[in-house]
Amino acid sequence: MKRKTALLCAFLACAYLWVFLVLQYAQPRTITLRIGLFAGSNWNVPQGDSYAFLDTVAARFEATHPGVKIRYVSGILQEDYSEWLAEQELSGTMPDLFFLPSEDFALYAGLDALRDLTPFIEADPACDLAGFYPAPLADGIEDGKYYALPVECVPRLMFVNKTLLSREGIPLPHDGWTWEDFLAICRRVTRDTDGDGRVDQFGVYGYTWEDAVVTSGATLFWDQGRTSRFADARVEDALRFLIDLHQLPEIREARERDFDLGRVAFRPFNFAAYRAYRPYPWRIKKATDFEWECVRLPKGPAGANTSPIQTLLMAMSAQTSHEDLAWEFLKAISMEKENQHLVLEKTAALPVRRDVLEAATPEEIFGAGTGESDRSPHAISAVLDDGKSPDRFQGYAAVMRLADQRIQEIVDGVRPFDNALNQLQKEVNALLQETP
Amino acid sequence: MKLPSLFARETGTDRLARLHALFIIYNGAVVLLLAGFLSITQMKIIETRNARAFLSHLPSLPLPPLEGFCLAALSFAALALLSRLYRSELPAPLLRYACLALEIAACVLTMRSLSLAYDGIVLLVVVDLMHRYSGRHQVILLAAAMLGLYAIFGYNLALSSRSIVPFDAYVAYYAPWARSLFSSLHHGFTSLNLVFFVLYLVLFVRQKHQEKERIASLNRQLAEANERLRAYAVEAEHLAETRERNRLAREIHDTLGHALTGIAAGIDAVSILIDIAPAKAKSQLAVIKDTAMRGLKDVRRSVKKLRPDDLEHLSLRQAIEQMVASFSSSTGMTVDFSVLTYPPHLRQDQEEVLYRVVQEGLTNAQRHGRATHVSIALGMELGTIFLCISDNGRGADTEKLTPGFGLRHMEERLALLKGRVRYWSDQGFTLEVLLPANEEASKFL
Repeated sequence: MKRKTALLCAFLACAYLWVFLVLQYAQPRTITLRIGLFAGSNWNVPQGDSYAFLDTVAARFEATHPGVKIRYVSGILQEDYSEWLAEQELSGTMPDLFFLPSEDFALYAGLDALRDLTPFIEADPACDLAGFYPAPLADGIEDGKYYALPVECVPRLMFVNKTLLSREGIPLPHDGWTWEDFLAICRRVTRDTDGDGRVDQFGVYGYTWEDAVVTSGATLFWDQGRTSRFADARVEDALRFLIDLHQLPEIREARERDFDLGRVAFRPFNFAAYRAYRPYPWRIKKATDFEWECVRLPKGPAGANTSPIQTLLMAMSAQTSHEDLAWEFLKAISMEKENQHLVLEKTAALPVRRDVLEAATPEEIFGAGTGESDRSPHAISAVLDDGKSPDRFQGYAAVMRLADQRIQEIVDGVRPFDNALNQLQKEVNALLQETP
Repeated sequence: MKLPSLFARETGTDRLARLHALFIIYNGAVVLLLAGFLSITQMKIIETRNARAFLSHLPSLPLPPLEGFCLAALSFAALALLSRLYRSELPAPLLRYACLALEIAACVLTMRSLSLAYDGIVLLVVVDLMHRYSGRHQVILLAAAMLGLYAIFGYNLALSSRSIVPFDAYVAYYAPWARSLFSSLHHGFTSLNLVFFVLYLVLFVRQKHQEKERIASLNRQLAEANERLRAYAVEAEHLAETRERNRLAREIHDTLGHALTGIAAGIDAVSILIDIAPAKAKSQLAVIKDTAMRGLKDVRRSVKKLRPDDLEHLSLRQAIEQMVASFSSSTGMTVDFSVLTYPPHLRQDQEEVLYRVVQEGLTNAQRHGRATHVSIALGMELGTIFLCISDNGRGADTEKLTPGFGLRHMEERLALLKGRVRYWSDQGFTLEVLLPANEEASKFL
């Protein structure tokens, strides 16, 4: 009898404990999702409220996910962001999700610091990768695995000084224009307008050899950045074109100030600059008294009017303990229509989803009060579809520095052209072999 | 000789244990120092905003500073604890192996938490491995285990060479003069650890050697003691024989001598008396007869003292059964003893002879025949007692058999009782004894 009572007591105690524990652990607890981001724009353009986009997305996410708090550290400047991320990684306090600068992608993917998103993508029927523009999406892939998803992107386009061209009686170039067209216009507009013996009207400012190579149809780096093909005939074409462009009868090269003053016909720029500077008040600051428009980059004889596309990626930390929630947020920010539409509203960049961009009004894309623009959302969408994301691998920056220096020497005539590209390719390949 | 060797063993083991403790303390200090160095360097790198540049030189992510330090410290503590446990007297071998496996795991964990910057703790595991195992194939097993251990670590190293943060990446943070200092310190730690290891090996081998010496010395002492014991046994036997002989002499002197002296003196008196007073002589003769009878009784009593002890208080059957049981249990031989017809009214001398025959037969079967099985049958038919002892031993060539003491004694004893012995060899050796149960029966034999 005593034994039975004791057993009953023990059973009751266990039951009470169980109920207590269940109640203790079943009560909703706030999960904090930490996001890493920087102040200011990724595209080197002024931006009013750098946190507006994330704040709105976070507020929406918190509304649909009760008990979840989105947190971020504010005040990290864009130039400090890379260092800040590295510090977080080294101290083991990496945010669950973070915006990842393109140049850091290869580093973190190589360190296994990013969560492989492929299993989430495969397991999630709501995840529609086809809705992304291919170039921004490809930016987050390494070794066939998705390590990050794009959030915003910006194509590089040719800015055209409409006022200058119409003064010279030159029609606006169309989207399929070629290097010859480009060169011909540059030749025509480069001259001394006020008769003081100095050239004060220029064809182009800021057109780089990379712009020429990307539209030449050549691919510089192969095998995930283990070999390069600088000796390609199309690269040679691009350089010859660049030399022609630089041998215009100028006393001096154009400067940025010349463009701001409306004295330069063309300037390649990223589209974010267009969106940022075109509306008031930035328009006053950047371009005082001329109208401007953007067209695609001119293409080479074997190439296409390809635009390099810069992408802002968001990645998940490999150390996150809320991976499912983080995946939900990542999906929300990169795929949900409302949130992607916010990119147009709150930032200077473009959404990465085709349906969102194509459904937008021209005003939303090109800015209010720019009714004179004859470009349609579909034209910009086509640019993004045809675009190409820049190469990125560990040691890319060093290789490009070397290539910059050598090609500058070739274009300036310091280095004889013949065989110079072969030599450059050898040097670059040697450097690539050294990189771990 | 005994004391110093014992004393040496004690100090040898003690010194080894002390050195092992020192070995562990040294490794612990190095592990803590290295972990501290790695952690502090990592924190300094973060503080001085060199994190991005540092990361770009790494093949994989290091642990956060505090976690890395704690992991190294804890896993080394686990390693030390397991090492101690492994060296203590764990009863179950399974438990011991589990302990060793855990120790190796702790070792791998410690090394990984130190980014493989220090591999000295492998030697700790090797030392433990050596310490405990002492079986038949010690050398082979030990070599295999050590090769295996190094293979594990080599594989680990090869596998993780891409994913381990090199020590040099940490050292590279510092000024050039400090870099060389750190590198040489790092090498110094490894070398000093090797010195410890070799020292331990030397002491270990010496201790093993001393133990072997001690065992050999003990063996020698044992052999000497055995020898002395054997000599003493021989001496004791001689002594017992002499004592018995003396006792017999005394006995003969006291009983037979006394009686015979009395009888001789009586007969002398009677030879004189017989003519003078024949009646007196006659009565005197009766006294002499009494004396002779008393002497005979005394002799009988003396002889009785020589009878086997078992026969004294057991029947022949029980005595033989007891002898058979003790013999088979002491020699391992199987002995069957069957009684067909137990002879009634056995006299003491008959019992004794039969008992001795069985004793001698068993002894012969064991000593000469090397038999494993003996069957003994006892019975009586037509007034003749027969005893048959046959074994499965290698037998003997009866033609050439020269009866030794045993057989001759047997024949002599039987002849006294008008008995006979026969023996032959076919499958083993068979001995048959026939003994008349009484006077009448002896006529037929």
